[in-house]
Order: sequence, then C-alpha cells, then structure tokens
Amino acid sequence: MNRRQQFREGLITNNPVLVQQIGMCATMAITTTLFNGVGMGLSVLIILTCCNVVVAALRSIIPEEIRLAIFVVVIAGFVTIVDLLLQAYIPALSAALGVFIPLIVVNCIIIGRAEAFCQKHSVKDSFFDGIFQGLGYTVVLIIMCVFREFVGSGRFGGGLIDIANGFRFTLDGTGGGIQIFPEAYGISIMNLPFGGFLTLGLLIGLMQAALKKSEKKKKSAERAAKEAALQKEVEE
Amino acid sequence: MLAKIVEISLGAILINNFIFSQFLGCCPFLGCSNKVDTATGMGLAVVFVMGFASAICWVIDNYILVPLGLAFLETLAFILVIAALVQLVEMFLKKAVPSLYSALGIYLPLITTNCAVLGVVLLNVQNNYNFIESVVYGITGGLGFMLAIVLFASVRERTQFSDYPECFEGFPICLVSAALVALAFMGFSGMKIL
Amino acid sequence: MKDNKILKLAFVLLVICAVTAGILGVVNALTAQRIYDMAHAKEFEAYAVVLESSSGYSEVSFDKEAFPTVDSIMSSNDGNGYVVKSTFSGAQGSITMVCGVDNDLKCTGISIIEHSETSGLGAVAAANSAAGDAFRAQFIGQGSDIALSKAGGSIDALAGATITSNAVTGATATSIAAVESVKA
Repeated sequence: MNRRQQFREGLITNNPVLVQQIGMCATMAITTTLFNGVGMGLSVLIILTCCNVVVAALRSIIPEEIRLAIFVVVIAGFVTIVDLLLQAYIPALSAALGVFIPLIVVNCIIIGRAEAFCQKHSVKDSFFDGIFQGLGYTVVLIIMCVFREFVGSGRFGGGLIDIANGFRFTLDGTGGGIQIFPEAYGISIMNLPFGGFLTLGLLIGLMQAALKKSEKKKKSAERAAKEAALQKEVEE
Repeated sequence: MLAKIVEISLGAILINNFIFSQFLGCCPFLGCSNKVDTATGMGLAVVFVMGFASAICWVIDNYILVPLGLAFLETLAFILVIAALVQLVEMFLKKAVPSLYSALGIYLPLITTNCAVLGVVLLNVQNNYNFIESVVYGITGGLGFMLAIVLFASVRERTQFSDYPECFEGFPICLVSAALVALAFMGFSGMKIL
Repeated sequence: MKDNKILKLAFVLLVICAVTAGILGVVNALTAQRIYDMAHAKEFEAYAVVLESSSGYSEVSFDKEAFPTVDSIMSSNDGNGYVVKSTFSGAQGSITMVCGVDNDLKCTGISIIEHSETSGLGAVAAANSAAGDAFRAQFIGQGSDIALSKAGGSIDALAGATITSNAVTGATATSIAAVESVKA
C-alpha cells in the first residue's frame, strides 16, 4: 500500500471527521482549549493504532459472527488502559476530558476502521492507517480548539502553554496560554455548545467547498488532457 | 427524595440536555433526524434502552464490580451489557410486540454505538446515584434526547426549502441549525429547582 | 454441530474477554496507588491553600442531615481553624470545593477541586489565573453573612457566571454554618 496515499486519505480526502463525518460528539464537546484538543487527539491516535494492530493481527482467527463483539472488547480494553494511565500520570487531562475518555469506546472512528480497514489489510498497513487516521482526527481537533479559543477568549494554547515564567509547555493544565486580546472582548458563546456545533459546521462546509473545487479542477484537467490527445490524433 | 427526582429529571431533559449541552449522542442525532417520524422512532428506542441499561448496569456495578474491587472493568462491562441488552430488546420486541418492533427495528442496532447510552451509565456511577435515581436519570436523559431529536428534525425539514451556499449541503447546514437550537436550549442553563 | 459452533464462538469471546480483563488487572494494579495518591494530593494541597497547618488535619464528625452538601470537616491540628469540603451544584454540574474557616468563623480562603463549569465563564472561579485569584481572594475574611454584591453583600460575581458565583458564595456560607454547628 502506498503510504503517501494513506497519509493523504487520513488527513484530507478521507478525513474521519470532515469527510467520513463520524466521531463528532467528542469533537464538539471538548474542543475548548488546546490542551484538551491535543490530549484527546493523541489519546484517540494511540488507541486507534493499538486497536488496528491487534484487530489486523487477529483477523484470521476472529469468527465472522462475533467480530463486532470482539472489536468492542479489544477497544474497551485499550480505552481503559489509556484512561487509567491518564488518571495516574496526567490527572489534569483526565479531569478536563471526563467522561469523554471512556466514551472513546463508542467512538465510531475506531470501530469503523476495524470493520472497514483492518479486517482486510496487513498489520503493517493497519498500523499506518491508525496513525494517519488518528493524525487526521487530531488535526481537526486542533483547528477547532485554536479557532474556538481565539474567538471565544482571545487566547492561544490554554492549559498547554505557560508564558508566565518564560515559554514552556505544561501538562498539569495550569498554563494560562498566550493572551492575544483581552478575554473580556472574546465572544464567550464560542466556548459553549453553540460554538461547538457552529465551528464544526463551518469547518465541514469549507472542506466540502475545497473538495468540490479540487474535483472540478481535476475534471477540467482531465478534459483538457483528453482534448489535447484528440487534437493530436486529428493532427496525425 | 421526590425533589431530587424532579431535579434530576428537569436537569436531564432541559438544563443539561444530553445533546445540546453535553454533546452525548450526536451521531444518531445528526444521522436520524431527516424526518420527524424516524426521529420519534429513534428517540423512543433510546428512552427504552437507556432506562434498562441504567437499571442493569447499576445492579452489576454495585453488586458485582465494586464489591470485587473490579471497578476498573466498568467501561468494558457496561458496553458488553449494552450490546447484549440491545440484542435482547430486539429479540423480545420481535416476538412480543411486533408492531413496536417494526417501528423501532432498524434503530435498535444503532443504539449500541450511541454514546448517550454508555454516557448515561458512566455518569450514573460518577454522580453516585442510587438505583432509583439512576433509572430516573436514564429514562429522563432518553426523553431529553428524544425531545432534542424531534425538535431538531422539524427544524431540519424546513432547511430543505431554504437557500444556503451549495458547499453547506448535508451535514454542515445541519450543524449550523443545531447550533441555533442549542442556543435556544442555553436559556435553560442555570435554572434551579431547589 | 450447531451447538458446537455456538460453544466455539462463546469460547473465543470468553478467551478474549479474559485476556483483556487480565491485562487491565495488571495495568490497574500498577496505577491504582498512583491514582489514589494523585487524587488525594490535590485535596491536601487545597487544604494547605485555604488554611495552613504545620501539623496536619484530623476529621471531625458533624450533622450530615443538617448539612447535606458538606462532605467532610477537618480540624487543623494547629488549632487555627477548620477545613470544610463540600459538593454542590453549580451552573453545569457539581462543584467540589474546600473552604477554610478560622476560629472566629471567618473564611480563610476557598479552593475549587473539581467542577464542570463553562470554560472561560464559570470555570474562572477555579482557574489559576489573575481573574480566578482575584475572585477567590474576595472570600477571605468573610463571615456567615457573605453574599453577592447584587444581594447586598460584598462579593463581586464573575462576569457572565452569576450562577457559579452564587453557588460558591452559598457554599461558603454553608461551610461557615457547618463549622459553627461543630464548634457549638
């Protein structure tokens, strides 16, 4: 399998959130600070990659009839491991994401990839699929976080970046972020559920516009190539 | 006790509505809200499963997992219970109430991956609800979901006649209209019962 | 033959469940102690913020019926006051807060341990920012007549978060009343 193509698919042409339109709950719920977005994105990336590898490795011994049950058990296992590790080592993240960490179990991205991809592909391909799809998810989360945080509270990198004592990254969620304009001027409704729905709607809309444009370009390029070929034939 | 139940119910239906303020169950919410009657079917199925799942998971958690010190298996146990429950409900309805089955049938399997259902049982544990409170939270949470999805389906039926940019076709226009409905639900936030 | 097939499926599922549960058991055993420590470290840190004590705290009993929102009351072993932990509902969900109360029944500080308030609005009450510090500093020295400035008191509510501010103010009053009942 072509890695570059897989990369493109995960990030753009078959992006889990923007194109497949799955896994939206967490996408809208937790994207209020960069800290949450990066944490959630990386958690999903790790769980997705592990599940992909395990499912692909077991694909020959999983009986067809109960495959979904087995996927769910494997996913729930990895989710719980990540949940426990986060509680133990990054408690601030675990507190900020709350119930959305265990809810990764029912995130359609993971079960969807297991069903649609890992059952038919090798362990290696599935591993890269997990990484690229996970990256695609993380990138969308980060875009949403950056936008909502900036518009909502005039900040960048809340929780993750601390500039009080020089620039540094924090993992305990205490970083104040970089204040770009005073918080009081922010449109704080962007931090509320309304902002989540609206931002994701706008983002998918933009994505659809971009995809349509590139499709049109491709088509017109194809047509031009065909015409050129025809012209050539005629000339000959 | 009664006051607590009223507080939980109103909270679950209006103030902390599962969809518009907690973002639980967005996938079926956006997927099954094309028409008011499919939305009602989905909503009913969710109320049903959420009520039962809350009851059964509470019993399993309090009488098996916690006494054995296996609380870390909660997520795993709950999702299996929900999957099994959905299957059982499906089989039971097929035999006992065929008319209801034909109405709910296609929505039932989808509910297994509805995060509102797993969400409600996890929240029951997190909030330390007792048995009655858990069941009430499950059922009223489901009712809140149903209210949201039915309301939104009628909003969405209107968008078919509206003129919006071509690239907003499909999901994006849904999300933008959902944002406006969420705005309306914000009016309930902070309402106090006691 | 059909029975065999079902048995085989059940066996495969059982094995996978058992393996998963076993792995989780190991991970749990490795992390449980640390999770417990982390959760409690946060609480003890909060105690020290609201009421310093050089010799630790010890739990005192109180009337749970009269103060349903109060989780625990600790008395400072230095004898300089009490720390009250309470859980009550805010604008979005429940808030867990510790409140220090000195022997004159004045608040010595508050610290919010857990909450699910709206980021940027109610969450400021718990935030480690200048605005959060300023909000919490208002509580120091307040007595049982504490109230928001709208209601005739001297606590300025957080912008856009009257409900959170009101809930925290109310909980502080409850905490002071609970200490009064313990001392009486």
